[in-house]
Amino acid sequence: MLSDMASFRVITPRREQAIADVILWTVMAFTLSMLLFIIVFVVQRGLPGLTWEYLTQAPADGGRAGGVFPMLIGTLIVTALGVVIATPLGLGTAIYLTEYTREGRLTRLIRFGAECLAGVPSIIFGLFGFVLFVIALGFGWSILAGGLTLAFMILPTIIRTSEEAIRSVPTAYREVALSLGASKWQSVVRVVLPSALPGILTGIILGVGRSISETAAVIFTAGSSLSHRAPTSLFDGVRTLSVHFYQLAREGISDQKAYTTATVLVLAILIINVTAYVIMNRLMRRYR
Amino acid sequence: MSAPSVLGPKVDLRDVSVRYGRDPVVRNITLSIPPHFIYAFIGPAGSGKTSLLRAMNLLSIEVDGAAVTGEIMLDGVDILGADVDRTVIRRKMGMVFATPQPLPRSIYENLVFGPRLAGVRKSDELDELVETSLQAAQLWDEVKDRLHSSALSLSGGQQQRLCIARTIALQPEVILLDEPCSGLDPISTLKIEEAMDSLRSRFTWIIVTNNTKQAARVSDRTAFLLLGDLIEDGPTDRVFTNPTDPRTSDYIEGRFG
Repeated sequence: MLSDMASFRVITPRREQAIADVILWTVMAFTLSMLLFIIVFVVQRGLPGLTWEYLTQAPADGGRAGGVFPMLIGTLIVTALGVVIATPLGLGTAIYLTEYTREGRLTRLIRFGAECLAGVPSIIFGLFGFVLFVIALGFGWSILAGGLTLAFMILPTIIRTSEEAIRSVPTAYREVALSLGASKWQSVVRVVLPSALPGILTGIILGVGRSISETAAVIFTAGSSLSHRAPTSLFDGVRTLSVHFYQLAREGISDQKAYTTATVLVLAILIINVTAYVIMNRLMRRYR
Repeated sequence: MSAPSVLGPKVDLRDVSVRYGRDPVVRNITLSIPPHFIYAFIGPAGSGKTSLLRAMNLLSIEVDGAAVTGEIMLDGVDILGADVDRTVIRRKMGMVFATPQPLPRSIYENLVFGPRLAGVRKSDELDELVETSLQAAQLWDEVKDRLHSSALSLSGGQQQRLCIARTIALQPEVILLDEPCSGLDPISTLKIEEAMDSLRSRFTWIIVTNNTKQAARVSDRTAFLLLGDLIEDGPTDRVFTNPTDPRTSDYIEGRFG
């Protein structure tokens, strides 16, 4: 009788587990293979053209020849400027929201505002940056206008991830710090932020990734004209790597050079991420 | 060394109430805690023991958003006063929490956290504080060879003694203990009780405990709280052998709570 009953249960818990394993593994493998496919697709076409000269020489003949040195430098500076401006603003906002206010209408409003900002298409940020920084403030198409625009664009990401990271630090750590004679600020700086560092850094890295690969927002604010020398001032216009890629591919100037530019972009993001995580691991060794 | 001319109470609670929102969880408590005493608060869950303890180093106001009324006098000064520096009060009234809470850093860094904030900079002074505090908490022999390894690698009992040592390193006058042995094995509990006993000449201890036997073993005076009210307080021997209130004897004998 009992064995009859059992035979009706086609899916045993064990088989259920096996099916779940297979499905989850397949989904993971699919995601990973898409990522690998994109990287291989780009790098395979771009890598042959990637030489030391390509990285260190100015472009020639509208991008058909030469390298990407001015774009590489311009991209790094615009991105760095955006991140350097957005990080203190975003982190400060996150600290205020988590440590210095109680949940209320104001915090909900700030959080809602940040979320709306995160959903705004980057081209709108570009337009905003163009109107405010390029025209009204008279910065022209410049690194400064581009960096500021990118800063506003990545601000919500940094606020959100920093807030999550700070919130996940156990309340007990704050109580311990206070009970050992720390002021509120000291407990935030010496205990909460070090514990939240990995999460905060993840937000910053996301911001770097978005900035470095951004096209629409920087075309409007940093410009797109082809320069033959690296920028020397914050008021110089730059064409970033992604804009350069866009122009090369869209104008049909050179597919080969476009893929090489894309390879430089992909590798740059990879190098920045790996470096950031290595530095973080060094820093975090003290807090284990 | 001259003896203090008047041996007043170390901590004096006058009409203290604690409330979160409207209803008080601690009501109009008045009692005195003499210096160099081990003073125990007992009572069932929800009796307000921990709220009262957290009011004494002002954590309940800053972290829990509680309103504390009345006067909490430390050496005759009301610490609820507006011009009081909370960080100074907390250095004088160290606190050990119910679950061991080492910070995620080395044993050494845990111990010097408080002293550094208090302005101790010289490394030989810090080294000495670390050693004497660990010895006082009966942990030195177990960790002296690995002061720079993570505090999180210690066992639960060692972590709690580390927290006691960390509080001692503040060189406080009063040490508040919030059910310090609730999650510990009997041997760790014994070591902590020995440490308290051997250090009563240096500190005034105020311990909240759910374990009435522990209160009977270690304390000089015991106060029994029930639902936010002080039912009685007195010398521990008397409270345990001859309580004046029937509710106290019911609780001690395990008839409720």
